[in-house]
Amino acid sequence: MQTDVSTVPAATFAAVGKRYGPVTALDGVDFEIRRGETVALLGPNGAGKSTTIGLLLGLERPDSGRIAVLGGGPEQAVAAGRVAAMLQEGGLPPGATVAELVDFVRQLYPRPLPLGEVLELAGLADLAGRRSERLSGGQAQRVRFALAIAGNPELAFLDEPTTGMDVEARHAFWDRMRAFAAQGRTVLFATHYLEEADAVADRALVLQRGRVVADGPVTAIKARTSRRVVRCTLPGAEERTLGRLPGVTEVSLHGDSVRLTTGDADATVRALFAAGLPVHDLEVTGGGLEEAFLALTGSSAAEA
Amino acid sequence: MLPYLRFELLRMLRDRRFVLFTVAFPLGIYLLFSHLDDGGQRDGGITLASYLLVAMAAYGAMGATLSAGSARMAAERSSGWIRQLRATPLPAHGYLTVKLAAGMLLALPALLVVALAGVLTGGVHLPPLHWVELLGLLWLGALPFAGLGILLGCLLDATSSQPAMIASYMLLAVLGGMWAPVDAMPRALRTAAHALPSYHFADLGWRAIAGSAPAPADLLTLAAYAAGFGALAIWAWRRRVAAR
Repeated sequence: MQTDVSTVPAATFAAVGKRYGPVTALDGVDFEIRRGETVALLGPNGAGKSTTIGLLLGLERPDSGRIAVLGGGPEQAVAAGRVAAMLQEGGLPPGATVAELVDFVRQLYPRPLPLGEVLELAGLADLAGRRSERLSGGQAQRVRFALAIAGNPELAFLDEPTTGMDVEARHAFWDRMRAFAAQGRTVLFATHYLEEADAVADRALVLQRGRVVADGPVTAIKARTSRRVVRCTLPGAEERTLGRLPGVTEVSLHGDSVRLTTGDADATVRALFAAGLPVHDLEVTGGGLEEAFLALTGSSAAEA
Repeated sequence: MLPYLRFELLRMLRDRRFVLFTVAFPLGIYLLFSHLDDGGQRDGGITLASYLLVAMAAYGAMGATLSAGSARMAAERSSGWIRQLRATPLPAHGYLTVKLAAGMLLALPALLVVALAGVLTGGVHLPPLHWVELLGLLWLGALPFAGLGILLGCLLDATSSQPAMIASYMLLAVLGGMWAPVDAMPRALRTAAHALPSYHFADLGWRAIAGSAPAPADLLTLAAYAAGFGALAIWAWRRRVAAR
């Protein structure tokens, strides 16, 4: 692959807005993706992830703002074969083998990878002769990944690439994606799993209701979403005492059962026992991702 | 674009239903009925074997061009495959160009197989240049149906496009005189038939096989339908598929 030493960003969004009728999909989104980065586009369903990817590929046009991909317009980057994508629900046409399908897409690009290398990278060497209509969901997903890398793009967009894969297949997939990205390529992938972003990405962009609510290293974002819930049974519990425990931001009581929301579960639990309270049935759970996103939206609103 | 065209041809030729509809079925009908030919001349001064040759070749070519778009294309639209292709360097017109070319190329086997049967079993003997003219006209005359197929593929969804395609195919075939001569139909049906491209398509062939020059009405009607369906297909593509 050709090495581009220029400092032109891989992709830029400047105040991008997109509406579908009365629905606002993106509302003033700004970000920049640098060359060689692996970035996770994180957000719940309907946050605007697929819209962002569609705009980056020129499949859709923004209503406002400016988009640049590899220094030019998205259409130019796609036409030049410098960008490729794995879209959600990119159904494979029936009647062709995996090798035929990958090979023809490969030949649409000016500087493709060799067919054998693509099949190897995507974990499809054993499935080359299989007809596309006889693939399992996970296998089809690998073929769609192969289609995204076949043209040897400088920049790849992957929209929820692990949908329909089991845990083992997910891990194998991320290994392959890392191998692909390790060769100096830029990858932007959409996911709604924080763990996936954590495992693979250098950086995460968190989208919520069409806005960027966090942008930074995954570890920093994780720290901001470290909210935990502590549940226990505590006869004679008093809301005032519990609210003063370190880390606790919210207390709810139903008879003897206590539910504490805390930003520092370790300190809260330690203090509970240190206070000599007759605590039992203690349970600590992580906030779900939806809760984490809510936490992020809440804090960004507070900062503004 | 050539690798994509090759890929499409391969996929369609592997589709048994497609081969059955466009080649095997018209060939079977031809073999079944052409031997009823008593050597007598029909309207237009051609034998039953010649009449049927044109009817079945036209029927097959119409099926091939229609089904290159239609259900196949509607399924590729709803599955997201077209969107995936739009994210590749395939030119903006590439998809439609390839569908059109694939339909037209796959009309050839339909034409050639029935023509060959005509020579081998139907006793239809024409000078080589006459064959070229006949098959060339029937081939180009199939263009409006390729346009119609693509139009249906853009407008209808995956479930409705299959019955819609079969219904239009059968209507066009019957009123095109491919199953029974239009001249024997009631007057209202005859008027309707004369307004359809399929009648003029087959008539182009019947005149050519009789050795007459193409009728301007046939050429003009087919050209108008080709342009009309083509323009509508491009409009529908922009509106329904490639809208941003």
